[in-house]
Amino acid sequence: MRRPAQGFRRLLALDLTLGARAFWALLGARSHRFRFALAASVILGLHGLALAPALWVGRAEDGPEGAALVTAAARSGAVFILPWTVASTMTAVTRMLFQRGDLDLLLSSPVRARDVVAARLLMQAFEAVASVGLLLLPFAHMSALLGRPHWLALYPALAAAGLFGAGLGFALALGLFHAVGPQRARVVSQIGATVVGASAVIAAQLVAMLPDAWREALYARLGADAGAGWTKILEIPERAALGDGVALALWLGAGALAFALACLGLGGPFVAAAMASAGAPAAANRGGAHGAFARGLGAAMRRKEHRLLWRDPWLLSQMLLQTLYTLPVGIILWRHGGVTGTAAVAFGPTLAVVAGQLSGALAWVALSAEDAPEFLATAPATRGQIERAKLAAIALPVALAMSPAWAALLWAAPRAGAAALLCALGASASGALLMLWRQAPARRGMVLRRHSQSKLVALGEHWLSLLWAAAAGMAALGSLACLAPIGLAALTLALVRPARRPARLGRRVPAQGLRAC
Amino acid sequence: MPETSPALECRQLVKTFGRPAVDRLDLTVRAGEFYALLGPNGAGKSTTLRMVAGLLPADSGEIRIFGVDARRRPLDAKRIVAWVPDEPQLYDKLDPMEYLEFVAGLWEVPAGAARARAEALLRQLDLWDVRRERCEGFSRGMKQKVALAGALIHEPRLLMLDEPLTGLDAGAARLVKDLLTARVREGATIILTTHILEVAERICDRIGILARGRLIAEGTMAELRAAGGGADGASLEDLFLDITRTPKERAA
Repeated sequence: MRRPAQGFRRLLALDLTLGARAFWALLGARSHRFRFALAASVILGLHGLALAPALWVGRAEDGPEGAALVTAAARSGAVFILPWTVASTMTAVTRMLFQRGDLDLLLSSPVRARDVVAARLLMQAFEAVASVGLLLLPFAHMSALLGRPHWLALYPALAAAGLFGAGLGFALALGLFHAVGPQRARVVSQIGATVVGASAVIAAQLVAMLPDAWREALYARLGADAGAGWTKILEIPERAALGDGVALALWLGAGALAFALACLGLGGPFVAAAMASAGAPAAANRGGAHGAFARGLGAAMRRKEHRLLWRDPWLLSQMLLQTLYTLPVGIILWRHGGVTGTAAVAFGPTLAVVAGQLSGALAWVALSAEDAPEFLATAPATRGQIERAKLAAIALPVALAMSPAWAALLWAAPRAGAAALLCALGASASGALLMLWRQAPARRGMVLRRHSQSKLVALGEHWLSLLWAAAAGMAALGSLACLAPIGLAALTLALVRPARRPARLGRRVPAQGLRAC
Repeated sequence: MPETSPALECRQLVKTFGRPAVDRLDLTVRAGEFYALLGPNGAGKSTTLRMVAGLLPADSGEIRIFGVDARRRPLDAKRIVAWVPDEPQLYDKLDPMEYLEFVAGLWEVPAGAARARAEALLRQLDLWDVRRERCEGFSRGMKQKVALAGALIHEPRLLMLDEPLTGLDAGAARLVKDLLTARVREGATIILTTHILEVAERICDRIGILARGRLIAEGTMAELRAAGGGADGASLEDLFLDITRTPKERAA
C-alpha cells in the first residue's frame, strides 16, 4: 500500500536532483573536481567579501545608534526579500500552469494534488531564498565567527520568509487566475509579479515624489518604535532576523502556516486552474478585419517584432518595470521645474543605464531568441538585412519607454539633458550592438535569465552601461572628460566585435534553451 | 531563364558530419515534376533539402535551381524556392493572417497580391475561421497547414516539403495532397520526403531512394519495379525494403 507522503518525498527528491544538476551545469561542462573547486572558491570568496560588512555591522551594533542602524538594515532587507519570494513564486506558478512541463504527467498519476503542490512550492521556496541566502548567509557566518552568533538566526528567518512568500505567492497567482480567467491570467499574473517584486523600489520612488512635509511625517511614523497595534506585527520578520526568540518562533509559525494552508487548501483550485489553462482557447487578435499588408522586408519585420513584443507578457512586465523606474524621475523633474544641472548629473546616468539595459534586452529577444531562425534563413535576404530590420524594429519601443523621462530631463535642463540624451542613445546602441555581435540562441522565455547565458556578455553589458553612465554624468557637468568613457566604450565594442560572422542565419535552439558558459 | 533547365540539379554534392551524410550525390528533378525523396532514417534526405534551401553549406558539389547556382547566388535561388520543415517554424503569438503577411514581406510580394493570395490559401486549407487566432493554440496539423500556406504565398517554382503529412488527420491530409497536386498541374515543382510510402506511390511522378547519402534507385513506380525485379503488383513498401537492405541483411 502506497503511503500518502511517498509521492511528496519522491517529487521533492526529483526536484532537488534536477535543481542540483541545473546548478552544476551553470558551472560549466568540466570535470566534477573542477566544479567542486569552483563552487568552493565562490563560497570562500563570498565569505571573504562578507568580512568587511560583518566587521562594520559589529562595530555599529556597539555604537550609540547601533540598534537603530541594525533595525533599519533588517527592515530594508525584509521589504526587499519578502516581495521577491512572493513575486518569484507567482512567476513560477504561472510558468507551471502555462508551460506545463511535467504537469500533465503528474496530474494524471495517482499522486495527490496537495503532494504535487507541496513539493513544487517547497522547492520554489528554497530556490527563492537560496539566491538571497548566497549573499546573506556568508555575512551571518562571519558575524558568528566574530562573536555575534545571533546573526545565525538569518537561517530560520530566511526559511520562514521562503515558506511565507511561497504560500502567499501561490495564493495570489491562483487568485489572479480565477479573477481574470485563463486567457488573461498569464499576462496579468506576470505583470503582477513584476510589480510585487519591485514594490519596494516603486514605493521608494513614490515616497520621493510626496510633498516634503508629508514625506517627513511618513519617515517619522516609520522610524518611530511602533509601540503597539498592527505595526508591531510588521516588525516580526526584522526582529526574527535579528535573533529575537519570540519573533523568530512567531515568524516560523507564520511561514509554516501560510505554506500549509496553501498546500492543503489550494491543491484543488490548482488542479482546476491547470485543467482550465490546458483547455483555454488560444488568444484571438482583436479587430475583425486585417488591415493592409506590410510592404517589403523592413515593414514586415517591424510589424512582426512589434506584435511579438506587445504580446509577450514576460517582456511587457520587464518594460513596465523599466518604465516604472523612469517615470518618477520625469515626474520629480517636472515638479521641481527649472532644476539645475545637479538633477541632470543625478538622472542622466540613470537614464543611460536604463536605456542600455532595455535596448540590450529587446535586442537579445529579437536576435538571439528568434522563434524561426531556420525559416528566416530560407528567405531571400542577407543576414545583415534581416538583423538591421530587427534592430530598427526595437528602436521604437525603447524610445517610447524612455521618452517621458528624456522629455522631462530635456525640458528641465536642456543642455545637460541633451548631453544625457546623447549618452543614453549611445548606451542603447552599445547594448544592441553587443547583442548583435554576441548572439547565442535561446528561447524568448529566458529573457529574464539571459545574463546566465554568457557571463562575458553579461559583464560587457554592465560595463558598457557603466561607461555611458559615467559619460552622461560628466557631460552633464560640461566636462570634456566624458570623452574618456565614451572612448573606452568604443574600444570595448571594437574588442567585442567578432572578426568574421557566418553569412547565414539559422541555428537551432539547444534543447535546454540556455547554454552554460 | 530557359524553361528546359531542371528544377533541381545536384552534382557530386557532399556533406559530412564526422561521417558522410550526403556522399557525392547526383540528383536531377525535372521542372513541373512531383518527386518523392525516400530513404531510411539517416539516409541524408533532410540534409540534402537543407543544403538546397540554403540552410546548410555543402562541403563540395553543385546545386542548381532552375539553372541558378544556389551556392554562388543564394538570394536569387531563395526567391524561387520554399522549404517546409518537418517541425513547422511559426510564431506562436502571430495569427495565420499575420504570419502570411510577414512571409510575403520577406519575399517582397506586393501587398495587394499577397493579401489576396493569403485569403485564398487560408480558405483552401480550411484555416479561414481561425485566421485571427494565435498559432500557439493550434494542433500540430493546423500548424503544418499554416507553414504550408506560408511556403505557397510567394508562389515558389520549387517547393520542398519534409514530411508534410505528419500530424494531419485524414481529411487534412487529403486537402494538402489535393492542393499540392493542383500546384504541380499549374507548373510548380514539388519535392517531398515522407515515410508514408503509400502517399509517394499514389501522388508522385518519380521516386528517388537515398541510402547512406547516395541515390541508390530512381524512377517511376513501373521503372522501380522493373529495376528491382519485383512483380507487377509489388508495392512501393516491398520495393523500398528490398532496395534499402544492407549487404549484410541480404546475406542473412
